[in-house]
Amino acid sequence: MIFKCRNCGGNVVYSPEKHGMFCPFCESEGSQERQEAQSGGLTVCPNCGGEVPVEAHTSATQCPYCDSYLIFNERVEGNYTPKMMIPFQLGKETCKQSLREKFGKFRFAPTDFLSEARLNSMLGIYVPYWFYDYDTGCYFQGEGIKVRSWRSGNTEYTETSYYAVSRSMDITFQKIPVDASEQMPDDVMDLIAPFDYGQMIAFSPEYMSGFYGEKYNMGSDVVENRANAMMKADAVKLLKDSYGGYSSVKTMRQDVTVRECKAVYGLLPVWKYIYRYKEQEYPFYVNGQTGKIVGTVPISAAKVWGYTATLWACLTAILALVNILLGSL
Amino acid sequence: METDFKKEARKQYLHYFRIWFLIIGVLAILCIVLRFTKFMNQEAPAERVYDYADVLTEEEEEKLRAHIAQKEQQAQIHIVLVTIDLPVEGAEARERYGYRYTDWERNMQDIADDFWDEKRYGYNKGFEGDGVLLLHNWYPEQNGEHLATSGKVERAFSVHDIDRVLYAVDAYYETDPYRAYMAYVDEVCDLLERHSTMPFPWAIVLVVPFVVAGIYAAFNLKQQKAKNTTAVNAYVAGGKPELKGKTDEFLRKSVVTRRIETHSSSSGGHHSSGGGGHHRSSSGASHGGGSHRH
Repeated sequence: MIFKCRNCGGNVVYSPEKHGMFCPFCESEGSQERQEAQSGGLTVCPNCGGEVPVEAHTSATQCPYCDSYLIFNERVEGNYTPKMMIPFQLGKETCKQSLREKFGKFRFAPTDFLSEARLNSMLGIYVPYWFYDYDTGCYFQGEGIKVRSWRSGNTEYTETSYYAVSRSMDITFQKIPVDASEQMPDDVMDLIAPFDYGQMIAFSPEYMSGFYGEKYNMGSDVVENRANAMMKADAVKLLKDSYGGYSSVKTMRQDVTVRECKAVYGLLPVWKYIYRYKEQEYPFYVNGQTGKIVGTVPISAAKVWGYTATLWACLTAILALVNILLGSL
Repeated sequence: METDFKKEARKQYLHYFRIWFLIIGVLAILCIVLRFTKFMNQEAPAERVYDYADVLTEEEEEKLRAHIAQKEQQAQIHIVLVTIDLPVEGAEARERYGYRYTDWERNMQDIADDFWDEKRYGYNKGFEGDGVLLLHNWYPEQNGEHLATSGKVERAFSVHDIDRVLYAVDAYYETDPYRAYMAYVDEVCDLLERHSTMPFPWAIVLVVPFVVAGIYAAFNLKQQKAKNTTAVNAYVAGGKPELKGKTDEFLRKSVVTRRIETHSSSSGGHHSSGGGGHHRSSSGASHGGGSHRH
């Protein structure tokens, strides 16, 4: 499918800044009209008929010939229909600005790292996620120790009290996100969280126009272990928080029992910027809702040596000149 | 494209170090200006060798003057030699020559200081200016030298340094006075160069920037990694768990006592060191110096 402008026929895209559909050609808002591909299958652009390179899990992309944004019905419908999504809240310009603010003062980055030309290659991607709900029963049993010290005259007293500690609680976890994309690095996708679920809405393909997208390519059963590990780690922390106040607590029994587990498929917005430097790729990911950035800046060895050596030379010169100046007074 | 980035890199580099380059430029100009406009003492006579005891030949005096002139340029101090053949000790000498004291050392000091002050010696100024004067008395039974220092030489030379200069003279004066006075000039200049009057040693000038540059590189290479900012209750319905049961049952108690040892200690002893060798001449100028009597 493609969204076209009723007024000018141009490709209408979702604008995070305007929070709505926008035609960049005639600047009209809300003028979108859904147009389905006539024939030719996935690889033919419904707008210009050009051959579009489509990867195995791509659900939305841009035609390399007419620059129209295409959404593939087969990959957003049926089994692949996301139940929910958070539309992009940050546009490309805002993300570029965030990257410049965060890394602008990093002196040893290559000169073109934050150049307009490089940053323009940034892509907005709807990443497939599984959201897990868990209904759990958590139990803790242990021995708590409280230590108290005081001094009387020349004697120091240390009193150690022992307690039998137990806690029982029900914890309902909602929407623990785990990315369902083989391409996206799991650790980065975990770091890019959290997302504000207050802006979560039911899926609508309109929001994908103007962005790239992927359908899930890892089943909910495949990635459930990651959600389960996150859930258990949080449950243990919450149990621990509940028995604070002791000097130390020895665990004797700890159980997290899952009574019910449910997974729902959805999409989350992520900006991706890949910087290539000396034959190596340096990916940066920006949370398309909150602006949180994950990535490591490449280091230019020439800059490290150049700047450090110059600083050394400047300091030496200044100290030497001051020495000569004061010495001759 | 590549050229544009190189241009941009150069621009960023110059922008970043502009203040540093500016400071270096200003300091360099100041150094040059100071070098050429440094106040030169015009009051002092051109003569540096006063051989009243007549221990040097005319030729030796000329060679010594030339040597002093060359060394003065390098060290930027006045170097004066005075030889005398006068009694400077005892009541008779005091009465005859109007000395302030009867002892040899103090009178030698007075003569040297007064000679320096009256002639208005000093490389940079005529009062407390930079320089050194060797007074050698050849009078029988009262033979000895006094080295008077002033200005930056006074500040730089310790008692030990003054002794070294005098020993350099002592080594040759009996056999070859000319060689002894040449040794005086060389020793003064060598010592002065060694005790550079710079505010901090050159080792600091080289080491401190090296350390600072290292810290700068390490600090700028450090990157702030993204952290997990997801709160522990971020995915918990209602933001908190539902507590179903809670027990904190007291089991037992134990008390341990420990006697605290108290110590009183004292340490101490003061070391004091004092400087010396500095005094004021009759004209009020500050001098340093020391004598060797043979």
